[in-house]
Amino acid sequence: MTELSAHLPQFQHGQLTENFPDTHLSNTNDNSERRRHDNSERRRNDHAESETNGQPQNNIQQVVEQDEEEDEELTLKYGAKHVIMLFVPVTLCMVVVVATIKSVSFYTRKDGQLIYTPFTEETETVGQRALNSILNAAIMISVIIVMTILLVVLYKYRCYKVIHGWLIISSLLLLFFFSFIYLGEVFKTYNVAMDYITVALMIWNFGVVGMICIHWKGPLRLQQAYLIMISALMALVFIKYLPEWTAWLILAVISVYDLVAVLCPKGPLRMLVETAQERNETLFPALIYSSTMIWLVNMAEEDPEAQRKSKNSTYDKQASQTQNEDAEADDGGFSQEWQQQRDNRIGPIESTPESRAAVQALPSNSQASEDPEERGVKLGLGDFIFYSVLVGKASATASGDWNTTLACFVAILIGLCLTLLLLAIFKKALPALPISITFGLVFYFATDNLVQPFMDQLAFHQFYI
Amino acid sequence: MNLERVSNEEKLELCRKYYLGGFLLLPFLWLVNVVWFSLYLSQVCHLSRYVIRSAVGAALWGLGLGVWVGLFQTRRNQWGALGDALSFTQPMGEP
Repeated sequence: MTELSAHLPQFQHGQLTENFPDTHLSNTNDNSERRRHDNSERRRNDHAESETNGQPQNNIQQVVEQDEEEDEELTLKYGAKHVIMLFVPVTLCMVVVVATIKSVSFYTRKDGQLIYTPFTEETETVGQRALNSILNAAIMISVIIVMTILLVVLYKYRCYKVIHGWLIISSLLLLFFFSFIYLGEVFKTYNVAMDYITVALMIWNFGVVGMICIHWKGPLRLQQAYLIMISALMALVFIKYLPEWTAWLILAVISVYDLVAVLCPKGPLRMLVETAQERNETLFPALIYSSTMIWLVNMAEEDPEAQRKSKNSTYDKQASQTQNEDAEADDGGFSQEWQQQRDNRIGPIESTPESRAAVQALPSNSQASEDPEERGVKLGLGDFIFYSVLVGKASATASGDWNTTLACFVAILIGLCLTLLLLAIFKKALPALPISITFGLVFYFATDNLVQPFMDQLAFHQFYI
Repeated sequence: MNLERVSNEEKLELCRKYYLGGFLLLPFLWLVNVVWFSLYLSQVCHLSRYVIRSAVGAALWGLGLGVWVGLFQTRRNQWGALGDALSFTQPMGEP
């Protein structure tokens, strides 16, 4: 999901939730900070007022203006915190992917390609290779478009069971099979003997607890950790099975597609969001990483009955949505044809359209209840996956190695910052891929082809700048 | 999921479900149960029953697993064919 949308308690694709009626909150740190700020502002304004005319209506106007200022302040305050709260999981995912790429050689070994990229890149001429990679990217993106449209159609005709089942199968595949392969490869890399009994127990535990946390109820931190892990696993599969030129082309094309799908009025993801809005449902909670801030916990004590009722209702809806969404988002990318390890033909692509179902910025008509869980920023798992693919590919294949990897990492974080800033300004669902991927690609090619040779020459000539 | 917003009865029910689920060879679930609900022991009555049992179960499993892994790693070579049959990965090179 490459969308960050503002507020929307119920939509979870990359939403930056900004609910303004916060001025009633009292206890938590943020609230107290805000109130101190508010109070100091009021005092200042009142003081200024009393110097001029101190009329009551001026004070009221002042208060209204202060409220608007406070709202803007609140937006910015939330924005900064939310940016940090998204940096951590994105960074963790990228760190896991890069660490695996660097240590486990399995993911950089060429063992065939996915059926979605049938054309090989081991051709004789550069032109042939370019043509093949363009064809591969075209096939991949059309698969994604078809999957997204299928998802929208299923959602429109309320085939929730199909979507739900698809998502469950998808996350089962990811949590059990891919992690089994990953574990096996890690053991082989470190030359550790391991018996089937322990491995079976570990995978069983990991998988079942993962399913429980993602699709049902579990601790928030554990759910976030599982979402990061499955994004990393997915990204590793992409890195392994996509040949080089195809991978870069696919990244570029997917950013464009994301932009189109989320922002165009007829875009599938936008239609998905609008349909969900009409039905007042949340979209794909499970496929979205939510960085909920817990600081609103005291709200429950403010107005217990109303708050709890509204929170529980939105939360229940969200929970059920999450199950739908999750399954869908995870499953989206999985086709069923996996074979053995050697010729893995997995279609993980399908997860991305779903996972990138846009979160739209619903006008807050249903957001009267300030559900703390919905106040966090939400970023789609597809975004995690593609960010990690970019950084992982950079670390796997760049001549500049760590320079290039770090440059791409910084580029992606800058892009994420900008996207969140735009989110705070526009307050609607936004695609999170285009800006970051563009920066990442630019930085990758620039660093690899310009900066790295420059630094090599400097080091070669022992010239320190 | 944020436990702050659910009622005590629901917390107890969730803890109980996690406890029962752990019997399906899921010591990790018991561990999660212990870590997650240990913060609420004072608030919810009867929660300690499930948390303590989950803790005991997880500890027993941990012990058993530790013993088995220790045995396997050190004695695998002596077990011959059985050791090879049990091995998921075998280290390469010289011992």
